[in-house]
This record gives sequence, structure tokens and C-alpha cells, in this order.
Amino acid sequence: MNNPAASAPQERHRVVLEITVNGRPERLEIEPRQTLLEVLRDGLGLMGAKEGCGSGKCGACTVLLEGRPINSCILLAVQAQGAEVTTIEGLAKNGRPHPLQQAFVDKGAIQCGFCTPGMILTAKALLDKNPDPGPEEIEEHLSGNLCRCTGYSKIVEAVLSAAEEMKGGRS
Amino acid sequence: MRISGFEYHAPASLDEALGILSHLGPEARPLAGGTDLIPQMKHGLRPGCLVWLGNLAELKGLTWNRDEVRIGALTLHADLAGDRELQSRLPVLARAISLIGSWQIRNTATLGGNLCNASPAADSAGPLMALGSSVVLAGPGGEEEMPLGLFFQGPGETALRPGQLLKEVKVPLPHGPSAGCYLKLMRKKAVDLALLGVAVQASADESGSRLRSLSIGLGGLAPTPIRAGKAEAVLAGLSLDQARKALDQAVDLACGEISPIDDVRATASYRRTVARVYLGRGLNTVLDRLAGKEGEGLS
Repeated sequence: MNNPAASAPQERHRVVLEITVNGRPERLEIEPRQTLLEVLRDGLGLMGAKEGCGSGKCGACTVLLEGRPINSCILLAVQAQGAEVTTIEGLAKNGRPHPLQQAFVDKGAIQCGFCTPGMILTAKALLDKNPDPGPEEIEEHLSGNLCRCTGYSKIVEAVLSAAEEMKGGRS
Repeated sequence: MRISGFEYHAPASLDEALGILSHLGPEARPLAGGTDLIPQMKHGLRPGCLVWLGNLAELKGLTWNRDEVRIGALTLHADLAGDRELQSRLPVLARAISLIGSWQIRNTATLGGNLCNASPAADSAGPLMALGSSVVLAGPGGEEEMPLGLFFQGPGETALRPGQLLKEVKVPLPHGPSAGCYLKLMRKKAVDLALLGVAVQASADESGSRLRSLSIGLGGLAPTPIRAGKAEAVLAGLSLDQARKALDQAVDLACGEISPIDDVRATASYRRTVARVYLGRGLNTVLDRLAGKEGEGLS
């Protein structure tokens, strides 16, 4: 169909966004100029993803789109139309933290906590892809998540420890 | 950092996208991954309309033929970097793309976006140039194909005319023994733009001891990604041993073909110095690999 009128927009129009967030189907009216981060925080009240740099460099806004980490501050929400989004709020099951969340607490991989949701979600996507990564592979995959407190060592330790825990099948 | 309002279209097919673009004219910007465009819009760029291309399934993925692989312009960097066949058959390209941005960026950004941005330092460009790639542009008047070297016209400038979209990239496949190498200079270990990038691709004849072809693609060293044609010419057809002896001369020639600039990330003189080192290292690595040696553990 070669007819531009078919998808002609209105001035300052709003569009309907249908996405699944943490397993729950959501239907929202949004403006196309809203980022996914804005919709998650302001539209759905999910405050886990943070705005750090706002330009896709620090990774504090990381969420999973179809299981893959992305920077939600530079993705228009309409680009996630129909997709499945996972935020940090979706990780705990039955009131119990995800092994990665527990490992970050146990290993002291959290200080101010601002980077932590993004850090954990990227780590989760890595463990879903490779349940047994080495320290180098962890550093490589987390290189888009900046932390200004921990110096990263404890974060890598936490991911290694969570991988160990998850292999044991205890969670 | 809020984005100003714009008219938004989400066409379902290439034909529909082309129709919308030609109807709207220059006010419309195509949106692929958006990892460059959206930050620019946060800093004040105000296109009147965005045409999101994410629904154009026909522009995604790789098609392997006997002599070439065709890569859809909307293929994600992560899907290219992680593609086993690309890793084994065109390692120079898979490696370069694996070094683009962060994992998050590679999960959003597309090959077509990287090329259409026309950064002189685009990581995918040097290897694609070295591999002799061409691009297919689709527009209201049909499709046209051109060598990638003609697509780049200057920093941020391409041969795309209003209403045209980059549809796919065609990469010829090497036959017989071949080897490639991509070296990227960054200010830190990861997640940085290339200060410069050196891509070398070579293939040998059936005996494995004589160069059939050798090509050098350079990023960040000229107003567009370039081939170092003079350096390639002195090495073509030489035996691997002769090529090793001609290496200094080839590096000198390549250094005569570059025109790096001073910018916020590095000086021209630093780029020139490292280009010399990386050219030597890249050429040596590829000759080692063709000879069956691993090449100093470099990529």
C-alpha cells in the first residue's frame, strides 16, 4: 500500500502503545516523542530504571527488550510497540529476590545503587545467553553500564557468584 | 532533555515507507535504531516528521549466496557480531561490529544507520570497504547499486537523494584461503568511537603462498572511510615472503593517502603516528594468518 494517508498522523498526536511489561500487558496512550524510559517511569510508575546521562552512554536506564539489554533513554517508546519489556521490578519471584539481586547485596556490589538496576538487568541478559561466563566476558558485557562507586570488582564477583548459584538450580 | 513533538509514521513495508518519504519531502527523517538520531533530538534537532522503519521485516537479516552475502540495512549490530557464519567467513567485519558502542547500543543500532550517518570513523565502514562491498538504494524511481566508496561523500554526507533509503549491503565472499584483521584505536578499552580503524583483508591463491588480493580500509583518517589503493597495488600478486619485504613501502604509501584532522578526541599527528603502527601490525597479522600462524593474538 503506497498511500501515505493510510498512516497519516494528526498534529501533536497521541498513539496507543501496547507493550508487555514484566509479564503484564499494558495499553497506554502516549506521545511519539516520549522515550521508553519516560513511559516506564511517568506512565507506569516503575522507578527502577534511572536517567543518568540521558544519551545512551551510562546504562543506568537499561531495561530488557525481548530479553536484550537496551538503553531506554534513547529509545522512543513507539519503537517498543508490541514488544516485551523487563525492568528490575520484574525480577523478584514470589517475594524472593533474583539470585543476581541477592548476590549484589551479599557481595557489596551496591553502594549508591543508581546504576544497580541497569547493571543487574544487563548481567541477567548475559547469564540467560551464557550461564557460565568468565570475568572477562562479564566485564565486556557490562562495559555499557557505568558505576561511579564500586570500582566494578565486586560487581563482577557478584555476577560470578550468582551464576554459580543459578547453576546449582537452587533458584 | 525532552524531545520536541514531531509527526510520526510507522510504515509496514518498504513500498509504504518510500511513499511516505516522497510525500513528506525533506522534513521527514527515517528512524532506524535511533541511537544517533534520538540523542541529537534531545540536544535540539527538530525534524518535522519521523518515519520509523522498524516494521520493515524485509530489510532485516542476512542472505547468503554463493558469491556474496546480502545484509539488510536494518540488521542489528548485535545480530551481526553474534552471527556464527559471519564470524567464520568474514571475521574482519564481525570483529569490527562487535566493537561498536556498548552491548545496549548494538542491540538497538543497525548497520544501515551506521553507514547512513557517514561518520568517517564508522567501525563497519572500513571493513566493508576492504571487502569491496556495494550498497543498494531504494527510491521512488526504483533501486540503484553503487560501490560503498561512492556512497560516502563527506563527513555526515552520503549519496542518498531525498526520498531514498539504504536497502541492503552486498558483500562479496572470499574464495580460497583468506584472512582479515581489524584494529581500532580507542581512548579506553570499550564503548568509544574509533580514533582510527584499520581493516585489512587478503586472500591467497590455491597454493596459499601468493597474494591474490589484499585490501586496506581505513576509518577516521580522511573525510570519509577510504581504501589505501596505492599500498594495495604494491602488494597485489606478491608471494607472502615478498609481501613481507614490501611491507614498509606499503605502509609509507598508505600513510601518504591519509589526511587525519585534529579534533576533540585526538590530534592529527597522534592519529598519523598510530596509523603507521596499526597499518604495519594489521598487514603483518593478515600475512601471518594466511601463512597459518595466529598473528600475535590480535583481532
